[in-house]
Amino acid sequence: MPLPQRQSAAALILLSGLLFAAGSVLADSPDPADWLNRMGAAVQSTSYEGTVIRIRGGEAEALKVAHKVSEGFVQEKVVAQEGNGLEIIRNGNKVHCILPDRKSVLVEEWDDQSTLFSALPSSEIRFGNEYDVAIVREDRVAGRETQLLAIRPHDGYRYGYRIWLDTETAFPLQTQLIADDGTAVEQVKFAEIRLNQEIHASALEPSYSTEDYRWFNQPARHVTRSVETEWASADLPVGFRAISMHEEKMPGSEAFVTHILYSDGLANVSVFVAELAAGQSQGPSSVGGSNSYSAVIGDHHVTAVGEVPAMTVEQIATTMRAR
Amino acid sequence: MQISAFVDGELPDNEADLLLRRMGQDAEHRHRVAEYLAIGRALRGEISVAGVDRIHERVSAAIDDKPLEEAAEITGVPPAKAIRPLAGLAIAATVAVVAIFGLQQTIGVDGATPATPDATVAEFDSGYTVPRPINDQLRQYYLSHGETAKENGANGMNSRFVTLRWSEEALQESADADETPRANGVDAKPTQP
Repeated sequence: MPLPQRQSAAALILLSGLLFAAGSVLADSPDPADWLNRMGAAVQSTSYEGTVIRIRGGEAEALKVAHKVSEGFVQEKVVAQEGNGLEIIRNGNKVHCILPDRKSVLVEEWDDQSTLFSALPSSEIRFGNEYDVAIVREDRVAGRETQLLAIRPHDGYRYGYRIWLDTETAFPLQTQLIADDGTAVEQVKFAEIRLNQEIHASALEPSYSTEDYRWFNQPARHVTRSVETEWASADLPVGFRAISMHEEKMPGSEAFVTHILYSDGLANVSVFVAELAAGQSQGPSSVGGSNSYSAVIGDHHVTAVGEVPAMTVEQIATTMRAR
Repeated sequence: MQISAFVDGELPDNEADLLLRRMGQDAEHRHRVAEYLAIGRALRGEISVAGVDRIHERVSAAIDDKPLEEAAEITGVPPAKAIRPLAGLAIAATVAVVAIFGLQQTIGVDGATPATPDATVAEFDSGYTVPRPINDQLRQYYLSHGETAKENGANGMNSRFVTLRWSEEALQESADADETPRANGVDAKPTQP
């Protein structure tokens, strides 16, 4: 066989081998939806201790976290590593925030979700239209083998996500919120973690005696009632739909505000329609990865808030109309 | 690895020069270097947890709004009626978490309501913003959004964090926001995809 033909044959064999190997790897890779399901279960049931680092805008913040789940009952202790010794102690839905130097305790009711990982996306989300979800590659986080799962939006109206799942337990060891340009808007990652190991009761107890502390509780939540509103966006970004409409009173006000919640199954945007009044802001604002936009429409003040890019809230807010 | 080595001071000079030149042209490189530096500081315990001091000050201020002698002195886990509501903003355990996580916010330059409402959408120059305190109404909107999204089973990974963090806005008083030169607002500009 002439040399060029031998080279071509060798290349064909090599290519066939690579394709076979790639096919085998893909065949062995579980469905991303399975990983999402496993992740959801892991977040609800996993006990862990470790150091969490949150990074946003080049700044990092460190927390020590102990989280124990026993027969569905959650106990948790979160301690800032610097500052005034601030501690958050959680027993079930009851949360105590301890300010030792002020000898004060703030009390709040939380839901059953994890402090760090509540509301993670589940496989019930209909990714077909607005997002793709895929297992990208294997990686390593906090010294553990992980699977990098990517949720990629089809347009710039919503963020993407990267989630590093512990290969053994599917627990999320790192999460990133990804902007349209591919940069991480914010991320949370474990620097070190112990999963499903015995957590001693002492690790979940306050570090301070609160016997002589003063206690404060949270203000009562505002009143809400469901309504059929005439307000709707005339140019809602594709994939979003209204999933909730109600009126509510904000603390300190007797006036009702119409609140419409739009969702694409993963990203959520609330629109608040209020009577125009003095001192109401206009334009964009942002809090972490969340954005809001306020506009005056007729004699109403309209604000859209959500974990979406700025252009999404702006488009929704400025296209709200009373039908 | 190159960035990591650079941050650790282990990159040869010639490679460091090359990297610095690339960083000058590449925002992503600068971002990654900043992250490495931040992680290093955090792991070495050198960081200042943004917001903890501010939340402390804020809570202190809220507590001090009420004379201490009026506060119920409670021993151990108090009876329900012995727990007093915290006046003012929704300062609660979430605020403490907010303080830990920290945040920045920006809001539009034009914070005032037009004297005469127009029938159309009000004009607003979203080309730049400067930092200024988020107002109570917007703060309540952020809170309500987080609660409502959660109640409806919506899946927003970021909802919890935002709900936890928004309150720190009350702690970040930017008294001179209105005096901030326009050029200084560049860094505070919201992401515009």
